[in-house]
Amino acid sequence: MSEGTAILDAIGKGDASTPSAFLEIVYEELRRLAASKVAREAPGQTLQATALVHEAWLRLMGDENRRFEDRTHFFAAAAEAMRRILIERARRRRALRHGGELERVHLEEDMLASPEDDEQLLALNDALAKLELKHPIQAQVVKLRYFTGMSNEEISKLLGVSLSTVKNYWVFSKAWLFREIKAA
Amino acid sequence: MNGSERSEVDLFTEAVQLPAEQRSAFLEAACGGDAELRANVEALLKAHMQSGEFLEQAPAEVKAQAMVPGEKPGDWVGRYKLLQQIGEGGCGVVFMAEQEQPIHRKVAIKIVKPGMDTKTVIARFEAERQALALMDHTNIARVIDAGATESGRPYFVMELVRGVKITDYCDQNSLKTTARLEMFLEICDAVQHAHQKGIIHRDLKPSNILVTTLPSGKPLAKVIDFGIAKATTDQRLTDKTLFTAFELLIGTPAYMSPEQAALSSVDVDTRSDIYSLGVLLYELLTGTTPFDTTELLKRGLDEVRRVVCDVEPMRPSTRLSTLMAADLTTVSRHRQVEASRLLREVRGDLDWIVMKALEKDRARRYATVNGFAMDIRRFLAGEAILARPPSATYKFRRFVRRHKLLCTGVCVILLLFATCLVVTSRLLIRERQMRNDMTVAKAAYEAKLLIDAGQASRGADKYVEALDLQKKLFGLDKPRAAELFGSAFGSLMSLGRTEDANQLLTRFYIPPQKSPSADWLGWRSALFARQARWRVAREDVTMGLKTRPDYVVLYHALATLLVAENDVEAYRHVCADMMSRFAGTTNASTADVVAKDCLILPSSGMDMASVAILAETAVARGKGEVPYTFYLCTKALSDYRLGRFQEAVERTSAIFKDPFPYTQAEGSAVLAMAQFRLGRMEEARAALAKLEKVLRDDLPPPRSRDLGHDWKDWIIAHALLDEARGLIEGSSSTNSDWRATSHE
Repeated sequence: MSEGTAILDAIGKGDASTPSAFLEIVYEELRRLAASKVAREAPGQTLQATALVHEAWLRLMGDENRRFEDRTHFFAAAAEAMRRILIERARRRRALRHGGELERVHLEEDMLASPEDDEQLLALNDALAKLELKHPIQAQVVKLRYFTGMSNEEISKLLGVSLSTVKNYWVFSKAWLFREIKAA
Repeated sequence: MNGSERSEVDLFTEAVQLPAEQRSAFLEAACGGDAELRANVEALLKAHMQSGEFLEQAPAEVKAQAMVPGEKPGDWVGRYKLLQQIGEGGCGVVFMAEQEQPIHRKVAIKIVKPGMDTKTVIARFEAERQALALMDHTNIARVIDAGATESGRPYFVMELVRGVKITDYCDQNSLKTTARLEMFLEICDAVQHAHQKGIIHRDLKPSNILVTTLPSGKPLAKVIDFGIAKATTDQRLTDKTLFTAFELLIGTPAYMSPEQAALSSVDVDTRSDIYSLGVLLYELLTGTTPFDTTELLKRGLDEVRRVVCDVEPMRPSTRLSTLMAADLTTVSRHRQVEASRLLREVRGDLDWIVMKALEKDRARRYATVNGFAMDIRRFLAGEAILARPPSATYKFRRFVRRHKLLCTGVCVILLLFATCLVVTSRLLIRERQMRNDMTVAKAAYEAKLLIDAGQASRGADKYVEALDLQKKLFGLDKPRAAELFGSAFGSLMSLGRTEDANQLLTRFYIPPQKSPSADWLGWRSALFARQARWRVAREDVTMGLKTRPDYVVLYHALATLLVAENDVEAYRHVCADMMSRFAGTTNASTADVVAKDCLILPSSGMDMASVAILAETAVARGKGEVPYTFYLCTKALSDYRLGRFQEAVERTSAIFKDPFPYTQAEGSAVLAMAQFRLGRMEEARAALAKLEKVLRDDLPPPRSRDLGHDWKDWIIAHALLDEARGLIEGSSSTNSDWRATSHE
């Protein structure tokens, strides 16, 4: 049994401490994958979050049982983890930039990214936090779609709502977040 | 959630689906008096209008821009000017570039993405550079140069190859299987060349084998990326290696050999290339790779590894047969054959060759690319291949197919030889037969000569000798045997050597299982009859008649024997039989014999008129024959029986012209009786006296050892004597002891 499945089993059994543990595992896995990918990516290429998540899925969950709850848990966790990774990097880069000298440091994980992207990402993060409070389901749609690259169909299956509902939520959330970011 | 928040979402959703001009009105109505709600929704709507592509793009984990922007056309890399990007792989980006110094030419440049320390990559490449430089083969794209870009990434300069993947080329041009094999052999040649220089490709796959078209129209396949995979691959087993391997797997898992996929620390050698070539051949033949790795990838890296390392792939022919009809049609079309023909092409030898190259255990694969190519060449030449476990019939079949002409020739020669043998042996047999024939004939002839020369006894012996030879060489169931027997028997009997004659019978006795032939019975019965052993003679004749009821001779013998035994009842039966059987005969002697038999005793019971007809037939037809006088005797007797006494008397005068004793006797008997009936006593008595004289002097006496060849006539003569005596002198003084036998 793979590590991931074991933990999910534990979650299923009601072990309260494990959801966060699972998230940690997913996070760690994604981080590692991202690191390796980044280190080998050719210039001009972007690393796709979907590829990363897929890979993490393979590595953590293997070929074993894919209970629906497992998928739900995983992808929810993956979305969250991905978000965290991105934000952390953006923050670090910002710190570096503000910190002064531009070393040509070969960070294990990073290449330099454009500042604007980082800022946008951080702003998005804040806005998303607010949306989570007001409209959690809609926020979930955004997270799944934006950070794990799931399709509308997959999200509708995962959340158990109709496809049109997912689309509506997405449109709504986009408008909401846009407004929020503009206002900030 | 409280109601107003929910409404916000619903209201927005509904409003956004309305055309813009209607939204105001809608919100007016829907919001009721909730101004804040309405303001919110309107703000959202506005944001929606402005948001455009916001959030639509997935987040760039890293917009991995280099310190220096990436290479693009127009840039200089070393002394090469980039012209345009022509490809992109897992390994890096490929550009077409131009070189000015020292020669003007176009090249291909591959700028590798940094998998590891650029210095290490370059260093590794340098190690092989010498060997790479020594490679000189038409089917290998040479790696000309290597270096590092300003941004620090390694690049390789290669011979420019503008072509398509070999698999695509073959399909686009619908190359037949044979053409594909030929092209494959070129590739093998190239790889073999490299192996001899100590260079392993490690990443052979269709995208690394490009086919260009020469100005002449002929295709030229080139293997590219020699030496690059090795340089850019870290062989140490670390986390990084794992990911590298995984990436390579994403690119070309189908072509990776088991030892490469296994990720164990076994180092890869030339046989790994052989495996990849095997996969390529598989694909060229069937249109698919042995394993569908894209499917497997979905199940994870471990699954891929497991399948490549442990699962036995389907043979190419099996794979073809499992394709769906539509796919099979496509594959066949790409090879310009019908599906069934394609299966037949691939099944058998090609299967074996491919599977040997794909062995999991590399020790069981072809040891060299050369060996691989040689087997394919053997297949094309129709010879026996090594990959296949050789059975005697397979090897033989191959041999025959290859040397059709020779084998046909040999067959023809063998046939001729066999024919000669047959002909010769038949000739030999015939010759021997003829020789044997000559031997017997010579013996018979000698016998005859001896007898003619008066040496009857020796002649008889010679006949026996001839008969012996006949039996030994040819067997007794031949007409000549009967002839010889007759001669031998006859001469012995006439010499009075009845014992020897008897022995003759036993020596040439037919085995008891077979029933004695009528001929043989006839001989034996004659022997008995000549010894006056009427009973056994009669038995033999009766038996002979059973098998040959058409032998009139036997009837004649039977009739006379019955007369000798005085069995009148049986005699009458036989006469009736003879008459019914032979009445219509036109043969003189047959007619004579039948008539005579019915005339011997007055009490034959036959219709004399019919008998007379037969007698007349004999006389009429038998004019020139030897026994003509006998025919006259029969006729005379017939006249007598009919009561035409005067005619009978007249006829006898013609009879007496012949001095033969038996005819003299018969004639005398008839004359005596006829004269008596006519009332001429003197003439009757004189004739009777003559008859007795002839019987006494000229014929063998009763109880002789041998009554002679004419024993039947002897019986007839004595029977007539009895009748004449009885008639003329009164019956009581008949001397019947002539009937007694000397034996029994």
